[in-house]
Amino acid sequence: MKRLTVDELNLEGQPASYAGTLMNSSADLVTRACQGEQDAFRLIFDRYSRPIVSFLYDLVNDRALAEELTQETFVRAFRGLNTMRKETKLSTWLFGIAKNVARESLRSRAKMNRQVDIEDQSVLDLSDQRAEPVDHLLGKELNELIRRSLAALDEDRRLVFTLKVFHQCSYEEIATITGFSLAKLKTDLHRARAEMRRRIKPYAGVGYEV
Amino acid sequence: MKCEVCLGSLEEYFDGELLSSEADKIASHLVSCGACSQELNSLRATEGLLTQYDREIEISPMLWQQVAGKAFQKSSGRERFNLLAPIKVFFATPTFSLATAIVLILIAVSLGALYLKSNRQRFEKEIAGSSTPSPDPKSNDHTEAQPKASVPERTSPERQQLLVAQRTRPTRKTPHSQIDRSDVLSADFGYVDLEDQDTAKHLEQTQNLLRSIRNVRVSEFDEEIDVTYDKALSRRLLNENIVLRRDAEMQAKFPTKTLLTDLEPILIDIANLPDQAKPEDVRLIKERVQKTEIVAELLSAGLR
Repeated sequence: MKRLTVDELNLEGQPASYAGTLMNSSADLVTRACQGEQDAFRLIFDRYSRPIVSFLYDLVNDRALAEELTQETFVRAFRGLNTMRKETKLSTWLFGIAKNVARESLRSRAKMNRQVDIEDQSVLDLSDQRAEPVDHLLGKELNELIRRSLAALDEDRRLVFTLKVFHQCSYEEIATITGFSLAKLKTDLHRARAEMRRRIKPYAGVGYEV
Repeated sequence: MKCEVCLGSLEEYFDGELLSSEADKIASHLVSCGACSQELNSLRATEGLLTQYDREIEISPMLWQQVAGKAFQKSSGRERFNLLAPIKVFFATPTFSLATAIVLILIAVSLGALYLKSNRQRFEKEIAGSSTPSPDPKSNDHTEAQPKASVPERTSPERQQLLVAQRTRPTRKTPHSQIDRSDVLSADFGYVDLEDQDTAKHLEQTQNLLRSIRNVRVSEFDEEIDVTYDKALSRRLLNENIVLRRDAEMQAKFPTKTLLTDLEPILIDIANLPDQAKPEDVRLIKERVQKTEIVAELLSAGLR
């Protein structure tokens, strides 16, 4: 396959900093954003907003709230860029902020007694009798099942599980983001996996031996 | 290798977190053990199913605009931060930090001495020329020289005491003048690299406010208590508190963050009082301040 050179890429009409998008390492972007380059921060946002929204959605189980918290995460990130250590990975740092933002929100929601009812009986009462081949399961139904199963997990387990399974973070990165010890995160991850497996087992069919 | 050992490390093997020597052992066990390899397949299958999870999330263009609106709005504060950055770097260099600190202290002391000296001279002149007290400071300079000689008899000891009292009165009003500048202060507070000093100042002011609330005398015969000043101060401190708490959290200063978090509900309660508060409401806040021993906590934080 012919690889395009930078000159061959059609980047006309894009803001100046987009022209070098392919060469923008996270470290470069951070340095430039620290110097007040708004376009650099825009690129950071473009690169990481989707994983951050997804991560927050998995944690708070509320689409509108996830967007709101993403906003807060990036505002805090912008304010704290100067304090970011050079050896820290940008994604790890952003996930760390997002985790704090989500936890604060969950805590305040719990205080205000408006906690989302995550102990949905329809999830907990799943039994083997309902087993159906995954082929017959509509995509939306599977999504809904995973969403509910995630929401039913304990907060710490959900956090670790999401970072590992959906965002492919290493154990070291998860420990940095969450502040958990390696032993705790391994235990939480193992239990979360077992729990998720139990919940989606009835829906796994042809081609899957769960 | 026993199956128990293999199963115990299977997830780490699957996640690629094992050392290569350990991973090799597991791999060779999996070749010969059907049960363990089935377990691995099951793990793969679950994760495969989970990768199909689609949250159907679209990033709306509005999101960036909202982020930019909030983040860049405060850029003036960040510029101040950036201006301080080179100084910070300079201090971070061990070779220069001590020498620089000493030089800066010497400069500060000499400037302070100069200021005090000039202030003292002006004060003495003012006492001497006090017979024509002028409300306009500009006109002071013109009238200074003449009255000094013309009415020396008026600078009696009593008169001097009165002048000293007049002179010192404005300094007592410092807290009120700080309130007037509150809006300007709080917006820039979190961005300067002097957070510790800011926090200490904030805690001191909060301590004073809570002390005054704690010491309010609530009588049964009072119909209303005027808390206008306390309320205004509490609102300002609440704004500062939120900014400083967030900064403390960002910098992982957890004891400070906890203390600031504890303060917030009390500050909110005071800020929400009507100007003419009911004695019952004030008494409740007063009891809360006493009960939580927050003043003692603030005092010990100040001592630290």
